[in-house]
Formats: sequence, structure tokens, C-alpha cells
Amino acid sequence: MKKSQRLFLFTMLSPALFLYGLFVLLPAVNAFRYSLLRWDGLGKPVFIGLQNFQKVFSKSSDFGGALKHNIFLTVVPGVLTLALSLYFAYVIHQKVKGARLFRIAFFFPNVISSVAITLLWVLIYSTTDVGLLNHLLKSWFHVKHAVPFAQSTTLLWALVPMSIWTATGFYMVLFLASMENIPESFYEAARLDGAGPARLFGHITLPLMWDVFTTGIIFLVVAGLKAFDAIWIMENGRPTSFTHTLATLMYSKVFEEYDIGRGTAIAVVLFILVLGATLLFRRLLQRERLEY
Amino acid sequence: MNRTRLLAIGWMLLLSGCTYQPKDTSGILTIEVAIFEGGYGLDWHRSVARQYEKIHPNIKIDLWGDPRVDEKLKPRVLRRNPPDIASSNLPFWKLVIANKLYPLNETLDSTAYGQNISWRDSLQHGVLADNTYLGKVYAVPSNLGAWVCWYDKRQFDQHGWKVPSTWGEFMKLCAQIKAAGIAPLAFQGKYPTYAWDTLLSLYQRLVPFPQWYELQDLKPGAFTTPEFIHAARLLQEMSTQYFESGALAMTHTESQLEWVNGRAAMCFCGLWLKNEMKLAIPPGFQMRCFAVPPVEGGKGDPHAIYAGGAEQFFVFSEAKHPKEAADFLKYMLSMESAHSYIQKLDTLSPVKDSVKGIKISPELQSAVDVMEQSSRIYSERLSGLYLEFAKNDEPDSLSDLLSGKITPEQFGAKLENAVDLVRHNPDIYKPAPMGVPK
Amino acid sequence: MGQIAGKIGTGLKYIILCIYLMAVIFPMFWVVYTSAKSTQEIYKNPFGLPRLVTAPSAENAHTLKENYQKAWIGSHFSRYFVNSLKVVSISLVLILLFGSMASYALARFEFFGKQFLYLLFLAGMLIPMQLILIPLFFQYSDMGEWLTKAIAPLGNWLSGGKGSWIISLHDSHAGLIIIYVAASLPFTVFTLTAFFRTLPNELREAAMIDGAGEYRIFFRVMMPLGKPGLVTVAIFNFLGLWNEYLFGLVFLNSDSVKTLPLGLASISIQAQYKSDFGLMFAGLVIAMLPTLFVYMILQEKLTKGITVGALKG
Repeated sequence: MKKSQRLFLFTMLSPALFLYGLFVLLPAVNAFRYSLLRWDGLGKPVFIGLQNFQKVFSKSSDFGGALKHNIFLTVVPGVLTLALSLYFAYVIHQKVKGARLFRIAFFFPNVISSVAITLLWVLIYSTTDVGLLNHLLKSWFHVKHAVPFAQSTTLLWALVPMSIWTATGFYMVLFLASMENIPESFYEAARLDGAGPARLFGHITLPLMWDVFTTGIIFLVVAGLKAFDAIWIMENGRPTSFTHTLATLMYSKVFEEYDIGRGTAIAVVLFILVLGATLLFRRLLQRERLEY
Repeated sequence: MNRTRLLAIGWMLLLSGCTYQPKDTSGILTIEVAIFEGGYGLDWHRSVARQYEKIHPNIKIDLWGDPRVDEKLKPRVLRRNPPDIASSNLPFWKLVIANKLYPLNETLDSTAYGQNISWRDSLQHGVLADNTYLGKVYAVPSNLGAWVCWYDKRQFDQHGWKVPSTWGEFMKLCAQIKAAGIAPLAFQGKYPTYAWDTLLSLYQRLVPFPQWYELQDLKPGAFTTPEFIHAARLLQEMSTQYFESGALAMTHTESQLEWVNGRAAMCFCGLWLKNEMKLAIPPGFQMRCFAVPPVEGGKGDPHAIYAGGAEQFFVFSEAKHPKEAADFLKYMLSMESAHSYIQKLDTLSPVKDSVKGIKISPELQSAVDVMEQSSRIYSERLSGLYLEFAKNDEPDSLSDLLSGKITPEQFGAKLENAVDLVRHNPDIYKPAPMGVPK
Repeated sequence: MGQIAGKIGTGLKYIILCIYLMAVIFPMFWVVYTSAKSTQEIYKNPFGLPRLVTAPSAENAHTLKENYQKAWIGSHFSRYFVNSLKVVSISLVLILLFGSMASYALARFEFFGKQFLYLLFLAGMLIPMQLILIPLFFQYSDMGEWLTKAIAPLGNWLSGGKGSWIISLHDSHAGLIIIYVAASLPFTVFTLTAFFRTLPNELREAAMIDGAGEYRIFFRVMMPLGKPGLVTVAIFNFLGLWNEYLFGLVFLNSDSVKTLPLGLASISIQAQYKSDFGLMFAGLVIAMLPTLFVYMILQEKLTKGITVGALKG
């Protein structure tokens, strides 16, 4: 390799490597170091080995509850979102009238910031006269007392429709694109063999889009594990043990209680979970790759 | 300035993480004051700052506030860039122990503004007790808190309701109000901690002070005494029968709006309520208060007042001008500022005798009456010392208790458990038992 | 029989689609028209059309104007908007520039350690941002102090001894831009590397014969060819960064530097605290409309970009 070419490659690679190395990799490595410290961020840190992790996993810790909430927020809205978006993608793929309208409209919530979406739903759920849902209950079903949907104890359930509302459009577009990639000739051949719509879907559509479907599941799982914004805003920055997720717990530990070691330990566990879930689902859901 | 310099400056501006700080030649010091923007707003604080700048032309007070000031300040303290003064829900005791706060003793011993006594002596007795550590005072309250029950006198008169003098009467009154088709009590349910103050007040009515302070000193079994369970039961009876429906999901302003609009008759709150709701109070509304009524058969002082919700101001030791900042606090708690405080915000000041000789609103007069009948004021320190407890266990158990999900016994056991964890956790700093403050 | 069932099926399909369409559209529609009401009007008549529509008059138009004025000027929405615009556009330019440079090198050249570097970037896609948040917070403090010290002599010279420069990565757009760029690189490099690999080699060879140097080839030939890939990456990153909340929450503390999501959150706190719902609705509209507008225009490209991005990720 010529010297000039080496210099060229160096110039091309170094800005990205510098930023990525210094501001992503270095702190990521440091996170593991921090998780072994007892430190309030004010005084001198003390090395305490794995004690933070012991505390995180101890019975009395709020970690277990938070993880449960993450799992809830992944599974319940996740399954419904997948089902709904798959249905919509399928239906729209079958050429309905107004397909373009549905496609554009359903995707709307994805371009709005999570903060705006959450605040919108704060207003929808409000128990005051402004609350859209309570108003509907009152005028259609004559419910006398406002239902406190967004109170801490039921907030996770209240987030289910909100996450479905937000995410369905995205997965629909994703699945639709992948369905459109399947050559029409496949269907024609199967139809000649007398296959009905259910068979077509089960034997052609789903297997051929399986990779994308898997990706969708991994997206949902990772998003569920990282959940922060909606809880933080709905709870006015004060989540309770009914609503804490790993990310809000981490934030609280570090920036509210000044327990840096424990907060970082939670972040490390979160990382391991994201990594584990991604690899696990890739493996579990891997099928023989179908080429077309 | 030549071209290279200009270019270099341009580059630094491009980086935009740079700020240029000219060397101070004017001799003007800037003091940054960050304030929790709650029920009292910021107008009064601003007017005091302008007043102070007039007296001290070499000082500029840069004052700002936010309803969630702690979210902004907590990271700043961690990166060693705090403001000079703050009033916020920071982990006060952690800061004290890490030497992050500036002791105010020297300023307290200096002469007060406008009076010939020391600043310390010009303050109401006992207001500094909970902010003192190893003889050093680390915070001063800007207000005199009092936890009371508010009602609309006009509404009471219309229905012929009477202010209760015992808890039994209070519960009867609630039943009467409910029968009239009005919710007896508004409640700030999104923040269950609002009930903590009521609970501690009720418990105080039941037991003598030495036993009450055992809670504060984490004495084993203090949360499972029959009296504490009884207090919890009283609270639960009240919440399950008489809270407005939906109250458990309301923020403080939402629930207080219900009260102001007459849909709920009473509301437990601090003295800031008037100012917090002043824009929403309809004409003719006659806001009055009474103390948490004494409980029949209780052994506690029937006249003590729980001073919940005092706003504490402190100076950071890493501040740029801690000494000058402490002096500003002294001015903030001078007789002159106290007068404007009381008149503007309809609340009480910790400056001694500051209500005397000035005209006050009827709302405040009713609070003053309550205070004048009081034998002593007291407050809790658990919430400031044991953050994890105060942030999680306390509101969670309370919300379970209030909604009727757990029994008072389970509630006591839950708190006792949580406190037991605090007790046995070597990482949490616990001051030696302090007993009843003098 | 079969025909009837088929018709019912079709009908049901449309009913479901339309119900969901309503569920998506109506809340947004509701926010928009309610923002024309005053708080009292909202309380009295929460769901009816605003008086501005039912009884248009200058006074009712004033309510609308007042809500938006309060949000845009009184609550500094204009500032948050400009901040977001600045942070996101600078970040995007840097992401695209640095990302495509690295990707090009990784895609089109053979050198020692190439595979390792590629995998290193790829690994970043598995790192949740929560992991680096806390260490980065303290790293920024230390770096700020260190840099301030390091440039002190320079600052002294620049100002002729009259002042000094303070560098802070906290509470500054620079700090936020740096982490936005750094954190977006793995995905960007991954996508663009795949894209550059597909470009034909002939063009490069032809340019070489014309005597163009490597830099010239990259900036004049390859970058323009890579435009579709760059657009995809830009759209994907734009949406992510424009709506980012957590990093902003931690790294921006002063109102003057806040970005739109943070500003919106703080307006909602103010609105709740003052029970000013008119303000809140107007704020929501201002936050929602620009992205909706951009979406309407770029709709085709956007969904395609997202799909391509997601399929690759």
C-alpha cells in the first residue's frame, strides 16, 4: 500500500473512530468499572467488587419489579402490536381501496416525538373535564365517576393502548414492504395448486418475510427493555414501584439518590439483557433461510 | 484584532461549547439563586432580589425557578457546578455530610438587617433545629409551614356545616357533606406523600412527643405501635369513604381545582394553597382553615401544629460567592422582607413577630389564628434523610393504604420493613437519635 | 353463500381499518382544534368545536392567537425550536460526513484490521445508550475542566489578557452534538458500508485514469453516487435525534439550550402547574405539526428509508 493511500485511509477513518471510540466505547467500558464502585458522585469512590450487583439482585431490591414492568411493556403491547400490524399489512397488501391513505395515516404517530405522544395521552386519560376518554365514558356509557386510568397502580395498563397506537404503523410499513418484495409468481403458482388465502399466508407470505418478522420482534423487545420517556413523563418525573422500569430506576438511582455505582450496575444489567435478548431471539427464531 | 485572532475566535465559537468570560473589572458579583417554583411563585423572590441589589450595588442576583428545579440542579451538583443558592428537593443530608453545603453560622451570628439583634435571634425559635448538624446550620426556611385543612366558609355557611373540634366531629361532618352530594375531601393523589403529613399529624394527636420522635429516630417497632396503626386506620377510613372519586390519579393542581370549584368541600394542604390557586379562586370564595383536629382519647398535645412543607434555602460550598450568598439569605429573612412576604403571598414567615402590626388577608388571619392557638410546631426529617424510603416505600405504601388495598396493620408492617432495611444498610448515613428537639 | 360471507368479510375489513384510522387521526385533530380554545372554554365545553369555528369573531380569534403567542414567545418555544434545528442539523451533517468517509474506507479498500474495525462499529448497535449515559456524564465534566485548563493560555492571548474561555460539554449544544454524532455512527456506518459495496468499480477507475486523487474521487464521484444511501441514513437519524429525550434531559439543564422535546415537557409542567390547558394544547400542536408536515412531503422517501434502515438493522 502506498504511503499516500495509507494517509488517505487514516483521514477517512479517524474522525468517526475518534468520536465513536472516545464517546461511545470508552464510556461503555467505564460503565463496567463504575458498577464496581460505591460512589455518591460527591466524595471519593470506594471499590466494592460485585456488591452493587448483589444489591441489585437481592430480594428487597426494586430491580425485580422494574424488570417485570419492562417485560410487561414488551410482551403485552408487543404481541398486540405485532398481530395488529401484521393484519393491517396483510389487508392492505390485498389491495383495499384507500390503501395509500391508511398507509400514510397509520404511520403518523411514528414521526411525533415520544414526549408529544405521551402528553397527548396524558390529556386523553385525564380525570379532569379535559380528559377525552372519561368524557366518552360519561356521555356514552353514563359512567358517573371519572376513571383514573393514569394513576400509578394502573399506569402500565394505560400504556398498552398508547404503545400500540404509536408502534403499529411502523411495523405495518415494515411488514408491508417485505410482503411487497415477494414475487407475485409464487402466489400464482400456489393458487394454481388450489391453495386458499390462509394457506397462501401460512405457506408463502409468513415464511418469506420471517427474517423481517424476527427483526420486528427484536425491535420490540429492545424498545421494551429501554422504556423510559413515557413513564418518566406520565409520572411527572417521579415513578413509583408500580411503574419503575430499568431505565427510570437507573436515572433515579444516579441523579436523584446519588448512588452512582448502583445506577450503573443496573445499566450494565440492562446492556446484558439487550445483548442476550437480541442473540437469543435471533437464534430461537432462525429458520432455514428461504431465498426467492 | 488581527485576522488570525479573529479566525481562532470564530473556530471556538463554532465549537459552541465555549463561553467567553471577560475578566471582571467592574467588581460586580453575580449570585445565582435557583428556586423551586411551587405554590409561592417567584414574584416575591424577585422583588427581594431587586431590593437587595439597591442596597448592594456591587451585587447582581441572578434568580430563576422551575417547578422541577431538582431535575436541573441534581446533575449540576454532580458536575461540581452548583448555583450559589438553591431551594430544592436535593438530597440535603448527603450534601451536608459530603461537605457540599456552606455553614451559615457566621452569618447567623451577625446582626440582622433592620434590627439590633443577631439574625439567629430574629428567627422563630426552633426553625433551624432540623437543619443543624454537629452544631452547624446548613439551611434556613423561607416560610413557616403549617399543615391544615382548608374549606370555603361560604359553602360551609350555606349548608350550615360547622368547623369540627375533634376527629370524630370531622368524620361526622364528612358524612354530612357526602349526604349533601358534595365530595368531602379533595386529595392530591398523584403525590400520595400529601397524606404523609396528615398521617403524621394524626399520629401526633395520639401519642406524646417522645414517642412521636421515635419514628424519626428509626426506633425498632415505631411503625407498628398500636397508636400508629390506629392513625393509619383513621386515615384509611377517611380516604376510602370521603376522598373525591378519581382523586387518587389527580395532580395537586387538578385536585385543588376541584376544591376551588366547590366539587370537593375540604382539602388538606400547607399555607401555600392560596397563592398556588389564586388565579382559579372564584369571587366570593372564603378560604379558611383549621388544624388537624385532636383525636378523642389521644394522649398527644392537642395544640401542636405540624409544620409541613417549609421551603429550605441553602448555600453551596462550591458556590462562587458563598459568603455573599449567605448575606442575601439574611436579607431574605429580614423583618422588611418578611412583611412583604406575608402580605404578598398570604403565608407566614419564620421571622419572629413578623405578623404584628401589618394588615393581613382573612385567609391568612385564619391561619394565624390556628398558629396562635398552637403550643408548638414540629416537623419530620425522615424524608430528607432516607431518600429511597421517602421516594419509594412511603408513597407506595400510602397509595396502597389510601386505596384500601392493604390493611393499616399491613401498612405499618410494610413501613417497618422498609425502615428496617434503612437501619441495616451501612451505606445510608443515619444521625444519632436526636430525640425531641428543644 | 360464499359471496355473502366474502362481502361481510370485506365490510368488516373496512370497518376495522376505519375504526383504527379514526383512533389515529381523531386525537390529533382534537388537539389541533382545542388549541383554539381558552382554558375556561376547554373546561366548559371540552369537546365541542371552538367558538372560533362556531361563532367566528375577532375576540375568539384572539384566544387562538393568545395560546400560540404564550407558547411560542412566553414559553420560549421559538427558542427550543431553533435549538433543535441547530443541534439536529449540525449533527446530521457530521454524521453523514464522518459516517460516509469511514464507510467508504471500510467498503472499498483492503487493509490490515479492516474486519476488526467493521465489527467494532457493528458492536455499537448492541450498546444501549443507557449504558454510556452515566460514565459519559462524568467524562464530560472531566473533559470540560481539562480543556478549559488546556486552552487557558490561548484564551489569554486571544483576549489580550482580558478574559478567559470556558469549555463545557455540559449544558451546551456541543456536548449534545458530540454524543448524538458518536452514538449514531454504528448504524450509519453499517448501512452506508453495505451501500458503498454495491457501487460499481468502473467509475472509480475511470476517474483514476483522469488523474483524480482519492479525495477527489470520494467527494466528487462516490458521495454523489451514494446519495440514496445517505438520504436513508439522514431520515432515520433525523427522526431519532429530533425526538430524542433522555440525553437532552441529562446533558441540558438550562432553559436557554433546551431542545424541542425537553421544552415541550417543561411547558407541560408549567401548563399543569398553572392549570393552563390552552397553552398545553398549543404547545403540542407546535411540536407535532412540523414533523407531520415534513412527513407529508417526504412521505414516500421516509417510509422507504425507514424500511431499508430497519431491514438492514
